[in-house]
Amino acid sequence: MANIAAQRIKREFKEVIKSEEVAKCAIKLELVDNNYTELKGEIAGPPDTPYEGGNFVLEIKVPETYPFNPPKVRFITKIWHPNISSVTGAICLDILKDQWAAAMTLRTVLLSLQALLSAAEPDDPQDAVVARQYKENLDMFKLTARHWTNAYAGGPSVNSECDDKIKRLVDMGIEEHQARVALSSYNWDLERATEQLFS
Amino acid sequence: MASPSPSTSHDINEPRDGGDTQNTKDEEKKDENLLECNICLDTAKDAVVSLCGHLFCWPCLHQWLETRPNRQVCPVCKAAISKEKVVPLYGRGSTKQEDPRDKVPPRPAGQRTEPEPGNNFSGFGFGDSGFHMSFGIGAFPFGFFTSTFNFGEPRPNVATHGTPMYMEEQFLSKVFLWLAMIFIAWLLFA
Repeated sequence: MANIAAQRIKREFKEVIKSEEVAKCAIKLELVDNNYTELKGEIAGPPDTPYEGGNFVLEIKVPETYPFNPPKVRFITKIWHPNISSVTGAICLDILKDQWAAAMTLRTVLLSLQALLSAAEPDDPQDAVVARQYKENLDMFKLTARHWTNAYAGGPSVNSECDDKIKRLVDMGIEEHQARVALSSYNWDLERATEQLFS
Repeated sequence: MASPSPSTSHDINEPRDGGDTQNTKDEEKKDENLLECNICLDTAKDAVVSLCGHLFCWPCLHQWLETRPNRQVCPVCKAAISKEKVVPLYGRGSTKQEDPRDKVPPRPAGQRTEPEPGNNFSGFGFGDSGFHMSFGIGAFPFGFFTSTFNFGEPRPNVATHGTPMYMEEQFLSKVFLWLAMIFIAWLLFA
């Protein structure tokens, strides 16, 4: 029974390669090792969201009990989203946990994650800081998410104000990512971010 | 995702030379896809179908049900399913159970119900209106209360105003009401 996982991934892999989403560059799937236990996924940020224009890379680990248990998926590309940890990339999505069903495939998982990017669920957060910002200051959240998409996922939207603030912290000897996290968490308030970093 | 798939439009525009053999091949392929197990994505072996109409290999579905004993849902549409409510599919000549599977219990057997007889016997009334029974627990006089407080239970219609039946019913209900009141009084004062 152990090779049912490998057999199925092989079939799914072929299915994804032929699918029209790949043709439209919406999703991508690559093998990492030859025994079909680890794959690399990629999804395009959906249009009309702060993630538009970005490409988000995912780590997909297929358990031996697949498809009876869900694959383990995590964002490798850093992303600012209420249901995705900005630190580890861990995802809070029901179908990757208790709502998994054996007929779901890697293709449907990738499409579900893309849907998650356009419809966040702040009441069931993975990253509490991001979720609070989403609920309290949606514009600030969108600005931050767009900035992160530009910084980590190759998004086109450049926000020079954010970049300037980060540069000032970097000049003070702070590592760039750390500076970005601090500023993002404090709604781009340079003073409070500095305070937190040096306290 | 609702957009029409580009492949379909492409097929229509395809040049027609030698198209017939191509078409039969495509159809064969489609048929194969239709008979794929929704779990292993291979052609279904020991095929069973759920009441919601989804096809699986019995070993695959069995393992899925074993993985989540508390949440037995269809892997495709998440309808409630169970081992008992699965229908095996027997193709022609596949009735002999060749491999006694060791790990997996045998496929549940098909259930066969006799066809419904014609409408000849519907006059007796049981089939149409349903058959109702009720239980009363307790000593004799409490029987009145249970029957009095059985709301929502279908009962015969009240006889029409003025008929002797109506008078009789009224009289009976008064008698029982008095009986009940006397009984309560006895309970209170005795």
